[in-house]
This record gives sequence, C-alpha cells and structure tokens, in this order.
Amino acid sequence: MDYWWDILNLVLIFSIFAISLNLLVGYSGQVSVAHAAFGAIGGYIAAYLSTKTGLDFWPALAAGAFGAGLAGVLMSLPALRLSPEYLVLLTIAVSSIVLAIVGAVGELGGAYGMIATRAADLTPLPGGELLFPRQWVVPLLAFTALTYLICRRMGESAWGRVLRAIRDDEIAARALGCNVVAFKVVVFGVTSAFAGLAGVLLFYYNQIASPSVYGLDVSLKIFAMTIFGGLGNFLGSILGAAVLQLMQPMLEKIIQIDPGQAFLIQLVIYGLGLVVLVRVRPQGLLPEGFSLRGAIRSFKSNAATESASHAIAVAAMPLQDARCGAPAALPQQSPVILEVRGLSKRFGGIAACRGLDLDLQRGKIAALVGPNGAGKTTVFNLLTGALRADAGTIRLQGKEVRGLPPDVIARNGMVRSFQNVRLFGRMTAVENVMLGIRQLSGDWWCWPNGTRGGENLADLFLLPGVATRVERETREQAMEWLRLVGLAGVADTRAGTLSFGQQKLVSFARLLGTDADVLLLDEPASGIDSKWVDNILGLVAFMRDRGKTICIVEHSIHVVERLADTVFFMELGRITARGTIGELTSNPRLTEVYFGTV
Amino acid sequence: MSLEQVEQLAAAGIINGSFYALLGAGFGVILGVTGRFHYAFALTFTFAAYVTSVLETDGHLPFPLSGLAGLIAAAALGVAIERWIYRPLAHASGALSLLTIFISSLGLTIAGVNLITLVWTAFSRSITLIDVRPLHIEGVTFTTLDVLIVATCWLLIAALNATLSFTDLGRSIRAARGNPYLARIMGLEPDAIYLAVFAIGSLLCGAAGILDGARYAVQPNMGIRPVVFAFVVAFLGGTQSRPLVVGLAGLLIGLIESLSGLFVSPQWSSLVVFSVLFIYLVLRPLDLRAFRIQILSAMPDPARGE
Repeated sequence: MDYWWDILNLVLIFSIFAISLNLLVGYSGQVSVAHAAFGAIGGYIAAYLSTKTGLDFWPALAAGAFGAGLAGVLMSLPALRLSPEYLVLLTIAVSSIVLAIVGAVGELGGAYGMIATRAADLTPLPGGELLFPRQWVVPLLAFTALTYLICRRMGESAWGRVLRAIRDDEIAARALGCNVVAFKVVVFGVTSAFAGLAGVLLFYYNQIASPSVYGLDVSLKIFAMTIFGGLGNFLGSILGAAVLQLMQPMLEKIIQIDPGQAFLIQLVIYGLGLVVLVRVRPQGLLPEGFSLRGAIRSFKSNAATESASHAIAVAAMPLQDARCGAPAALPQQSPVILEVRGLSKRFGGIAACRGLDLDLQRGKIAALVGPNGAGKTTVFNLLTGALRADAGTIRLQGKEVRGLPPDVIARNGMVRSFQNVRLFGRMTAVENVMLGIRQLSGDWWCWPNGTRGGENLADLFLLPGVATRVERETREQAMEWLRLVGLAGVADTRAGTLSFGQQKLVSFARLLGTDADVLLLDEPASGIDSKWVDNILGLVAFMRDRGKTICIVEHSIHVVERLADTVFFMELGRITARGTIGELTSNPRLTEVYFGTV
Repeated sequence: MSLEQVEQLAAAGIINGSFYALLGAGFGVILGVTGRFHYAFALTFTFAAYVTSVLETDGHLPFPLSGLAGLIAAAALGVAIERWIYRPLAHASGALSLLTIFISSLGLTIAGVNLITLVWTAFSRSITLIDVRPLHIEGVTFTTLDVLIVATCWLLIAALNATLSFTDLGRSIRAARGNPYLARIMGLEPDAIYLAVFAIGSLLCGAAGILDGARYAVQPNMGIRPVVFAFVVAFLGGTQSRPLVVGLAGLLIGLIESLSGLFVSPQWSSLVVFSVLFIYLVLRPLDLRAFRIQILSAMPDPARGE
C-alpha cells in the first residue's frame, strides 16, 4: 500500500510545480524550463539550514520558498525584454548555472547531494514527524490545495486578466495602463517561490537534495505536465501531473517482464505517450476557460446567439440615453490640456519628427493630417511613450510626461488606439473592455500599479470584498461601454473571432473605458464598413461633448471635415500648417502635397 | 600557469569548439528557418553514431560506408520527424505549436533513446574512423583524430555556408528564413523547404554524433549534453546569421570552456559557459524582435489581412 501512497505524494508535489508553472506559462506567457532549478534553490536552502544549523521544518520551508522567490525576481529582470525563444535559452542557462553550482560546491555535497539528518516535523501543527509515505498525504494535500487556491485567485481575477493581456499583446496592455514590468516581476517571484516550496517538500520527502533530483530533465517533465494538462487551467495541471507521474507505475504493473527490460519499455511508451497525447489534444486535457460551470453556461447561452447577431444589426443605443461618463463640468483649468514643444526623434539617419509643436485644446477635436510617411503615427508613439523622444517636452495637464513609460502616461490620462486595433484575441469582448477600466488610487500600498480592486494583490487577498465589488463595478461599466457601441450582444464572444468592424468598436469601447481625458485615435474610421463609420464618428463627437480631448490621425477628408475643430498639417516630421479644414484645403500648396494634384 | 598549459588548453578549446560549431550550425539552420525547438536533435545525434558503430563492428562495413550510412540514417530520421510528427502537430496546435513541438520532441527523444538501449543494450560501443596516433607539436599534444574532427567540422560548416549562399536551394531557404510570409507569396513551398532544412541540419548533427562516438564512446544518452550546447551556440550566433558566424560562436564557447580551466577547477567550467551566456542575455542591448514590433506597431499587419 505504501507504494501507492508514495506515488500519490509525488503527484501532489509535482502538482505544486505544475500549477505554479501554469500561472507563469499559461497565464503570463513567460516560458520557463528552469522550474525544477528553483525547486533546487528551495530544497538546497532547506537542506543546508536543517543539516548545518539544525533549523526546524517550518522556518526551513519558509527560507527555501523565500530564497527561490527572490531568485525568481532576479531572473525576471533580464527576462523582461526577451521573446519566448530567448526566454527558453535564459531559463536553460539559469537551470544549468544552479545545477553546476550545487554540483560543484563541496559544502553542498557535490554530485552526491545532501542527506537529511532529520525528518520533517510539523510541530506545532498536529501530525508530528512524517516518517512514512502515508503520513505525508494529508500535509501534501494541504500544500497542494493552498497552491491551487492562491494561484487560482491570482489567475482567475482582474490580476490574471492583466497577465493574460500581457501574454496576448504586451504593447496593447501597456498602452491601456497596465504596469507590465511589475506584473512580470511579481509573477516570476511568486511562481518561483512555489517551485521553491515544492523543492523543499521534495527534499524532506526524499530525505536527500541532489543535483539529479532537480535536473533539467525534471524541469522538462514539469513543463510537459503543464502543457499536457492544459495551459491556463490549474485543474488541468493537477491532472497532467497525475497522468505523467502515474504513467510509469501503471506501466510497471501492466507490463510484467524482465524488470531491466520493463523499465526501458516503460520509458519508450512514456515518450511515445507524450508524442501521441500532445498530438491528440494540443490544447491540453483541460483547455483554458474550461470549467463545469462554464460548460453549463455555454450550453444555456446557445439559445441566446441568435439575439446576439440581432443586436449587432441594430444601431447602437441612442447616444443621448447613454449613462456613461458624466457630462463635463466645464473647464476652469487652462484651455490647453496637452502642450508639445520641440519634439524630435531620429531613426538612424531618418528624422521622423523634428522640432514638432502641438497644442490640444481641452474638449476639442484636433486632426493630424498629412501625406503617408509624414510621421503622424510616430507622433502618437512618442506622445504615449511607446517610443522615446530624443528631445522636446510633452506637458499633459501641466505635467511633464516625456520619458515616462507608456502605462504611466496612460494612467495619467492620455491613451491611444491602434490602427490595427490590437485586441486581446483570446479574451472576450467584455474582458477586453474591462482591461481599460481601473480604479486608480494614490495610496502608497496600491503601488506599483496604483489601482484598487483585483489588480491589487493586497485587495485581492486581504480585502476580498473590495476586490469583488470593484470587479462587479468594472464589469457593469464595461457592459455599459459595449452597449454604447452597440456590441453588448457579443460581450462574451472571443475578440479574435469578431469581424474587423466589431473589433474596431470594441477597441473604441476599451479606450473609452480608461476614462482618460486625452484620446489619440489612429485612423478610427479606416478599414470598416461605411455604415459603421457614422456610428464611430457619432461616438467621437459624443465623447467630445462629454469633455474629452481628442486627436485623430485620419486620411479621409470627410471624416476630418465633420469632426475636427482644428487641423494640423504634418509634412516630413513637422507641423507646417494649422487651421480649420476650410483654411487648409484652400491652400493650393497643401492640397498638392496631400492629394498630389490641385 | 605556463605558456605550455595555455597552449594545451587552447588546443582542446579549438577541438571542442569546432565540435560545438558544427552542432550549432546544424541546429541553427533548423531553428532559424522552421522555428521548431528540435530537442530530438539529441536523438539524431545518438542514432547516427549507433548506426555507424553497429555497421562497422557487427556488419564489418569499412569506415567510409558505415559513416555514410550513419549520415543517411540521421538525415532520414530528421526528415521523417518533420514530415510525420512536427508538420501535422504544427497544423493542429496553431499558436501553441512552439510549446507542443518542444514537448513532442522531448517525448520522441525519451522514447528513441530507450528504444536504442533496448535494441543495442546500454553498454558503450566504439567507432574507429582512422588509426589514432598522438601528435606532439610545439609541446602541445593532440591526436590525428582531433585533426580530422576539426577539419571535418569546418569543412561541413563551410559547405553549408556555400550551399546557403550560392545555390538555388540555399536562396530559397534564406528567403523562407527572412520572411516566410513573402516567400509563400513568391511561390516558394515552405513544406518542401522545411524538409530540406531538416535533412541538412540532421546530416550535420549525424556527422557530429559520429565524430563524438569516435572520440569518446557510443552510449544511449550521449546526445543530451550536446543538444544543450547546440541550442546555446545557435542562439548565441544568432538564428538569422550565416553558418560561419554561428560556427565562430561555437568556437568561442569551446575556448571559454577550456581556458576557464586556467582559473577554476574543471567542474566549474560549465558554470563559466552558462554564466557567459547569462551575462550575454542580460546585456543584450535590444531584443531585435521587440524593437521591430514597436516600429511596426501602428503599421497594417499583413497577417491580419489588412
């Protein structure tokens, strides 16, 4: 019987590895094959402290998890700007370095590792010393449950929504005001700490910490468990750990031949099993978003799809009925909300922007027009921090924002849309809009994202009531915005499956959700059906009437004519004329530059 | 440290480095063109060595023939894996294909290596390429086999370089590597190019396996460490670089690994190599891909049909 208890225990320990790796790979899209190495850091810290200094189980456990978490934070720093392929390389390097160190340091037992001098002792909790596999079952169940609950809380909340946004499109996530750096650092730290916890448990369970226990092959096995179980689904990770961990003993029981041969045959079948399983279910056993409750809900909503398509066909709700956005308390402040002076940017020998000056009037619509290649989109990239300007000042409500990261600028009230929309394709329309909405707070403990609710770990774990309330309000607001653009019917449809016109409207709703004062719209009306152009233009005018300041880049003179109060004409990286559209079109030189003919 | 010691270590570094260069060039052409994390490179490596060794000792085939058979076996294995495993898997798993192919490749290697052990036992075998004699030149000792290894490695890398630069096939491969989307529009068939790339990469891998088997021993798990080095060298050299550049990165790694022996004891040498890699990744001034994405962020995206 102990045989099966032993297998169950290993399934549980590897579930901790796989669940935490899933938070990293499945939710935030950061690929790591160093998970067992972080287990090694935890395991060796505990082994060293307990054998050399006689530390008890609990403090050793805490030290191991903390040490591994700290190492994870350190690894996240170079990982921040690496693409997935290079991240694999980085984690291979980290894994090899950790293993080389523990294998070469005599104090840590070299290649043989460190043998434990005492068993795990749960005191002061009941249970005492854990000597037999069967005694381990309950504590390990508790550790696995704890890991599952914490990772699930982080993954399936506003916090996890930001992670998934980072995974799908990091640039769009930043442009909406998500502090991508902070989220990545925290997710590396937390998942590495859990790997460290599992590593400590593995040390106490095996009573030995050696390089081979935490080798690269073990990391790859954990990785396989996670992928195979299903990325973005924690139950899947437990299932994946169970299947891969059970495969060998099962085969052992089924194929009973010469033990030496049997071991090899098992491994052959195990390897082929990986190949076949990943082929049959590439999304994993339990795909992202799968849950019993969800399955029932989607069954029920089948009936609703018809009305959804109907909702798209009908026009958006009358704008005057919209409850979104309080009517502006009209400006007592300075009429210029954005003041740009001397903005310059060179790409090698090309000056994309040279000494550009631009003022946006509060509550007005400005248009940036000019021939292709004039640098209009570059200006948006510079204003929102996506590109770093070489020189100049950008004052937003009197505050200098040049040099600030894109997410900080967004939270300061200036956001932009993208010409190619950049929705988070694997998330639903309403989730996309919810990512724009956040309750900002200046309290010190809301650092670094400056938000209340589920995006704030303190609220998420310590004030669950606040997190729930904010989440509900966010969803209501997001639905309100979707209703405004006429897409409430497709709120629960994955954004990637919507038509381009619908995606454009969702991205517009997402932008409005940020509640920013300055909206930079990159070709809001391009690429969509003409019957929706009116719709979008109506929305832009509506937002202007609510006190928003808007700047559009647009090729269609008709659009500009209808909307813009002021038009800036841009050529070769600088503004060469400004005025109303009538003034500009009556200038023969400009019309020639723009249309190529008078 | 004496000058003689430095020379001896440098010679060892050049020999190992040439071997890493060959591995990196073979892995790099596969990774650069197809984007597949071909972990089963380790299996190809081992398989070629076994085929050569078995034909030589059990089949009594003379060396050039047994070696040729090993190379063909390696290329065939690589092509078969691409054709019947990776390609359908890539179609089935879409955006996740990077990860699923990696897992599949891992499973193949586990299965293949143990199958080899079942068929040919775990006892180590040997390969005799030439009559191995020691050479002493200027106080540095190496063998005739070492000379053969270095020469073969660089010959193969140069051949690959020339193939990519001067032949029609090479031009197609480079086109597919630089811009797969455009290559498809121009009528190049990526599936066929991928097969060719797997054949070429696996051939180089097989050559490395045979040389390694002749230098040390033929064992079931002989490919595990080389595949990690192949991976590292291919990335360090740059996945879009020419094979000769990747080769130089391999040589550099070999020299660093070997010359670190002057300052630290041998068990630390792999730590030195991976620390260099780590530092390189930390200091990389710009991730080119991220940079490109930023520049292109607002441009229409052809893949989305705009």
